[in-house]
Amino acid sequence: MGKILLASRLAARDLRHRPAQAVLLLLAITAAMTVLTLGLALHGVTSQPYQQTRAATNGPDVVAQLPVLHQPGRQPQPPPQATALIHAPGVTGHSGPYPLVGALVRAGKLTAGAEAEGRQESPAAVDQPKLTAGTWVRPGGVVLERTFAEALGVGVGDRITLNGRPFTVAGTAVTAANPPYPNLCYSSGGGCSAGPQDASATDVGLLWLTEPDADSLATPANPVASYILNLKLGNPATAQAFANRYGNSNNPAAPSLASWQGIAAADGLLVTDEQQVLSPGAWLAGLLALATVAVLAGGRMAERTRRVGLLKAVGGTPGLVTVVLLAENLVVALVAAAAALAVGWLAAPLITSPGAALVGTPGAPSLTPSIAGLVVTVALAVALAASLVPAIRAARTSTVGALANAARTPPRRAALIAISARLPVPLLLGLRLVARRPRRALLSAASTAVTATGIVAVLAFHATAGQERFGGSSGLRNPVAIRDEQMLFVLTAVLLALAVLNAIVTTWATVLDARQSSALARALGATPRQLTVGVSAAQLLPALPGALLGIPLGIGLFAAANGAGIVTIPPASWLLAAVLGTLVAMAGLTTIPARIGARRSVAEILQSETA
Amino acid sequence: MQQEVVLALLAKEPSHGYQLRARLRQALGPLGDAMNDGQVYVTLTRLEKAGLVASEQAAGLPDRPDRKMYALTAAGQQRVAGWLAEVSWPRPDLAEFHLKLIAAAAAGLADPIAIVDAQRRELLRRLRDAQRAAMAEPDRSAAGLLLEGIVLRLQADLRWLEACERNWTGPRSES
Amino acid sequence: MSATGNAPVLRARGLRKHYGKGETLVRAVDGVDLDVADGETVAVMGPSGCGKSTLLHLLGGLDRPTDGEAWLAGRRLDQMGERGLAQMRRSAVGFVFQAFHLMDELTAAENVELPALLAGRSPRAARQRALIMLEQVGLADRATFLPSALSGGQRQRVAIARALVSDPLVVLADEPTGNLDSQATLEVLRLFDSLHAGGHTLVIVTHDSRIAATADRLISMRDGAFVDETRLTGGTTGNFGALAELEG
Repeated sequence: MGKILLASRLAARDLRHRPAQAVLLLLAITAAMTVLTLGLALHGVTSQPYQQTRAATNGPDVVAQLPVLHQPGRQPQPPPQATALIHAPGVTGHSGPYPLVGALVRAGKLTAGAEAEGRQESPAAVDQPKLTAGTWVRPGGVVLERTFAEALGVGVGDRITLNGRPFTVAGTAVTAANPPYPNLCYSSGGGCSAGPQDASATDVGLLWLTEPDADSLATPANPVASYILNLKLGNPATAQAFANRYGNSNNPAAPSLASWQGIAAADGLLVTDEQQVLSPGAWLAGLLALATVAVLAGGRMAERTRRVGLLKAVGGTPGLVTVVLLAENLVVALVAAAAALAVGWLAAPLITSPGAALVGTPGAPSLTPSIAGLVVTVALAVALAASLVPAIRAARTSTVGALANAARTPPRRAALIAISARLPVPLLLGLRLVARRPRRALLSAASTAVTATGIVAVLAFHATAGQERFGGSSGLRNPVAIRDEQMLFVLTAVLLALAVLNAIVTTWATVLDARQSSALARALGATPRQLTVGVSAAQLLPALPGALLGIPLGIGLFAAANGAGIVTIPPASWLLAAVLGTLVAMAGLTTIPARIGARRSVAEILQSETA
Repeated sequence: MQQEVVLALLAKEPSHGYQLRARLRQALGPLGDAMNDGQVYVTLTRLEKAGLVASEQAAGLPDRPDRKMYALTAAGQQRVAGWLAEVSWPRPDLAEFHLKLIAAAAAGLADPIAIVDAQRRELLRRLRDAQRAAMAEPDRSAAGLLLEGIVLRLQADLRWLEACERNWTGPRSES
Repeated sequence: MSATGNAPVLRARGLRKHYGKGETLVRAVDGVDLDVADGETVAVMGPSGCGKSTLLHLLGGLDRPTDGEAWLAGRRLDQMGERGLAQMRRSAVGFVFQAFHLMDELTAAENVELPALLAGRSPRAARQRALIMLEQVGLADRATFLPSALSGGQRQRVAIARALVSDPLVVLADEPTGNLDSQATLEVLRLFDSLHAGGHTLVIVTHDSRIAATADRLISMRDGAFVDETRLTGGTTGNFGALAELEG
């Protein structure tokens, strides 16, 4: 017991002694864990919101799209299959059939195709869309599906035209009977039959209006396209089997049925897309955070080895030493995990509200105890790994060795030294600094590569998405793309923040390591500015190949994430700007710690570091 | 026993023979135990003969050196002053120098620090010359080795003088 | 205020360096006046903690005084910026440290040429100069050795060569034999002696009286101030026989 107390006191003292290092470690682990939390939270979002919408709207188990029975001289009518379906075994309830008319919506400058579903003003038994704003349909008043309304940029009270006729937007609503815009046509067995000629079939939205209004929209040139029949089954799990039995989407004369599972899948496409963006981004962010942690853990290794030697010299067993090292990092990791979970809890709703089409935001429920447990475990594992190397070292070095030989003699690279002698003074200093710590240089290059990869991937996304503006005539943006972009923006922000942290940490570690030789260089006549530039150069020299490597890696990453899609390589000017921007930002960031280091009193440093 | 030391001990005030002996012992510490008691009295007798001290016999006490009262004569005082000002050459005898400092401080006749500094200066000059001579010798010459010995001893003396200086700079210990 | 024709190379008036304040105030250097003439060797001795190293750092521009003035070759040190001080350190002042402070991964020649490179000389000129200096300290054959392959005395001699490479106006040595055994001390001693004979100006801080004995002037320092000054030039009358106890 006494040992544990002692270990914790030693660990606490160490943490107090070096708050900056602890804080940086905390930030790095927190960032990594936040990304992990968000990723897991998103993973946890399956069809939850869909279920919520289904419950709130009394969503159908099967949606049947029925062909129109055209009888010369009479009004279009639903076919006899409707009755057959209503009375089919297993069906416990229905609503409809509702007429579906193709409509060209014009709202302001935007035009889009839409399916207009005629409804009754009184609530339906099955699939009564839940209003998110405004009121239900009334003569002259239409209700738009929420995502569609967002894409068009209209709200309650706005005036739009359908096929040229003026209407008012009475409200917006969500439904479980169809996937939200723009995936309306993606549900298997469903598909869009309507749509006026001058809009592409994929770019179709959904709106509801009164049946008389729907009929008024129908013209001989654009008649009622189909009828929608919503069915409720006694056993919802058999919906897909039901749809298979009674539906046939290949025969236009036969009804095509969609089960709620199929609709849910189509709805989930939006979430899957998000995951496609979030996953690689999360990996990148995770890598960067790990690199930062590695630098922090590896930095000041010599000093840590010496501290370990001291502990052993005063009688600490290797076990005690290990425990102390572990304790420091574990505390930091636990705090980081807690912080990450908190941030994740706050930020998850922003990311996991899929397409704004479904009712309810996951919020707190998405952060299950299992996610929390996993995050904490990973954080602890990271802390363990970070303490492992010094601990192993401590066990292996003899006490005397640890105390006396605290600093490894830096390797000698005769070629680099000879080359550096020919360079101007700042580069001379910088190159020699790099040569002293080749592993750190490698790590720095890797970190820059990761950052550049992320930036280039984002650029590739923009370049590709720019080509993919569908519904070109309507000018609408694909909300999937909007959501993806939002997510990318968040990820890029996180990535950049991590990159900044990494750069600061690496520079700080470099400056600290180089304290002695920098002080000596100053004692021999190097000006502070020469040193500052030198340290910056030491950072940039490995960063340059890393940044360049990021270009092909970033494009590759985007291609992998995009699946089979076409990848547009971003223009050279963008790439150049990205690389230069990364390097310039790095140079700027490294200047600050370098300057601080270069201004300290030389005598102080040299005196304090004499053996 | 150096005569000058005994003289200096009388410089402050006259004292009995046994008192002198006690003060010597105290000043010398453990080394004082090895001192031959009679030695002091022999020295005192010699000094009396030389006219540097005068003795008085207290009435009613036997005519023995330890019971007699001794005091400095004028000649004796002169001798003491000269002795304090003089720098030992070639090297200070450890005990003598030590007692010199104590006596000087007790009698208030001279500043011990000044005595130390003067001695130091002299030794440094010697050291310089000896070092020069040692370095002028070719490597591994026998004479060079001897000179090296001289240099090292001088250096040791100098170290001790530095310690004396430090000691006498602080609050004085009553002797 | 030197009476001789030459202005002093190094000069200080009322130099002070304080650390902390109030109860924790430490007066490392407390009002020092100093004049060092061209070609003179001055030794500063004192107990540890007396501030002699701090004084040397102030004179070499490695630290800034709290108060007082310092001149090097007529230029005010305490008013120079970091840049000016750095330039001065690379051309006018050579510093020798107790811990040598050689770069472990550079050879002797590469170590010695460093100040010259920092001053902007061409690599070839710097290397040439370095080799000349190494010759002067008697280590020309060790130019390609790493410090780990050199003895303590040799390392310090390399450090001295480094201090000399830019032909400085004054060489400041801080306990140069502090980390050396007597044999190595002898090597360094000879070197200082030859430097002195060669007309260099040296200020040496030491508590080794052997080193101090090579100086023209010896200053004793205590508690941040000078307390004594001795001129050592001028020989003594005696022979050494008595010292070796050959007589008496």
